[in-house]
Amino acid sequence: MTLLLQLVANGLVVGGLLGLVALGLALIFGVMRVVNFAHGEFITLGAFATYLLVNNLGLSPLLGIPLSFVLGAAVGAFVQTVIIAPTAGRPELDVLMVTYALSIAALGLFSQAFGGDFRSYSQGPSGTLDIGGVVVGWRSLTVLLVCLAFGAATMFLMQRARIGIALRALAQNRDAAATCGIDVRRSELLAFSLAVGLAAAAGSLVSLIGTVTPNVGHEWVLDAFVVVVLGGMGSIGGAIIAAIGLGLIHSFASFLLDDSWAKILTYVLIYAALLVRPQGLLGRADA
Amino acid sequence: MLKGAAERSLFGVAATIAVAAIAAALPWFGVSSYVRTLVYYTAYFLALGQAWNLMSGLTGYVSFAHGALAGIGAYAVVIAMNAELPLWLALISAIIASVLASLIIGVTSLRLRGIAFTFATLFFQELVLLVVRKLSFAGGPGGIVLQEILPIWLPHVLMMAAAAGATIILLLIKRTRMGVRVLAIKDDETAATAIGINATRLKLVLFAVSAGIAGFTGAVHGLFASSLFPNVVFAVDISIIALAVPLIGGAGTAMGPVAGALLYVLIREALQVIAPGLHLTIVGLLLLAVILFMRDGIVPVLARLMARGKLPARAVPANGPGA
Repeated sequence: MTLLLQLVANGLVVGGLLGLVALGLALIFGVMRVVNFAHGEFITLGAFATYLLVNNLGLSPLLGIPLSFVLGAAVGAFVQTVIIAPTAGRPELDVLMVTYALSIAALGLFSQAFGGDFRSYSQGPSGTLDIGGVVVGWRSLTVLLVCLAFGAATMFLMQRARIGIALRALAQNRDAAATCGIDVRRSELLAFSLAVGLAAAAGSLVSLIGTVTPNVGHEWVLDAFVVVVLGGMGSIGGAIIAAIGLGLIHSFASFLLDDSWAKILTYVLIYAALLVRPQGLLGRADA
Repeated sequence: MLKGAAERSLFGVAATIAVAAIAAALPWFGVSSYVRTLVYYTAYFLALGQAWNLMSGLTGYVSFAHGALAGIGAYAVVIAMNAELPLWLALISAIIASVLASLIIGVTSLRLRGIAFTFATLFFQELVLLVVRKLSFAGGPGGIVLQEILPIWLPHVLMMAAAAGATIILLLIKRTRMGVRVLAIKDDETAATAIGINATRLKLVLFAVSAGIAGFTGAVHGLFASSLFPNVVFAVDISIIALAVPLIGGAGTAMGPVAGALLYVLIREALQVIAPGLHLTIVGLLLLAVILFMRDGIVPVLARLMARGKLPARAVPANGPGA
């Protein structure tokens, strides 16, 4: 029983992180109809930013999380304005390849700047918490809590704030929303910037519980893509359910088999899902 | 107009065969091994690029898995050769292996429109590496080595044939019924389906052919490399090159990947001296620049510029002579 709870706890931490990344992907796809293949590199950006802040400036990694969010949001706003917005109205292929090209270029830059070393730091929360036999590291608990906080704030923004309503309107019917006077350019800028901020914050959290390499974002984003497809493209609710589900599957499969088999299982699951329910858990059939 | 197009593609086929024949004869002309290797790699990237072009360039369904499909061909040929199969049978089994692998992606995702296929290829790229590292008959994480030592000219000649064959398919396909149907799908899949084209089957067949070419190309490269390590063979780089070469040169055109492959090999060689680590970054930035500023790729844009110099503007064909 304790073991079971332990595995659930581990799964929730991974699921929380996946959810944070997938939330951004779903937001971008829902509002802009763009699949952001560069999302993983924004995770890497946050991870390296935090690593450098902790290692070179001696700041606390907890401070690195909001700073990464702000950095990510700024980079996201820049990328949206300079690279993505000019492709508006072009064929889907063009926009797709633009984000992919960006991902290749950024991955190359990270590899050139940091090499293949595994980097980590020991500052920040440490030790473990024992809750009735279930041992949770303070670091993992921090990750889970921060994910919940970011997730709740984003959901609140989407449900209650004017801009959130505008974003949801855009996702539902772009033309009608534009006719009603919603500023499409500004809304897209906000959605992209927010999503990249979330990815960078997730990267910061990844650096807290794992090692930082130029590939770290790529590895996380693949699972996040699985989550987004499973949850239904552009469906935020579906993405969150799928993220937690995948986190749990990962945790159990890694324990029972090994890490590689857990990943193989994930991909087999996605092909099965494409066959049986291509619109995803909560996705619309036409999406 | 149509007659001109027919003459142009026949001329293209003749020129492709002639260039490939000269390139294939290089090992007997006593050129340096450096030049021969450059020619070999140009043909390798060209063949891979054309394989991608056949599916993704013509239909707009982007594949991120052509490197993995080629890798499957490489593994299949080495396993078959080590099992004492003759060369021709080993090459055929490589093609079959890649085609079967393409069906995993195709059957699950090609009924759907849009992005599902691209995701299926993205996951496939990762899945294959994970699975191959688990297979003991494929050598696991340590890889496998080709037992037989082949003469150096053999993979060279085969690769020229692969590049020429793939280019000729691209030159001729638009003149076939299948090619016209594919173009109809790219323009408007709903309309194409409405006039009775079975889009799913057509996409599946096209992707299988494309995978077969990638598998053959990968198999020849497997013979050339002779030692296969899963992390190298299934590195995402090969899939990136397979799509960057045609996209930079001009996706959906037969001559685009030729220009793309030449340019890519040139850049790779230049960077080898200046900054070997920046090679992917440069490819990414070049791809970004081409999509943002020369959206059709280099060859169609150059063709339009040349046509504009010679002819009055209204006589310029819509797709350009490179198409």
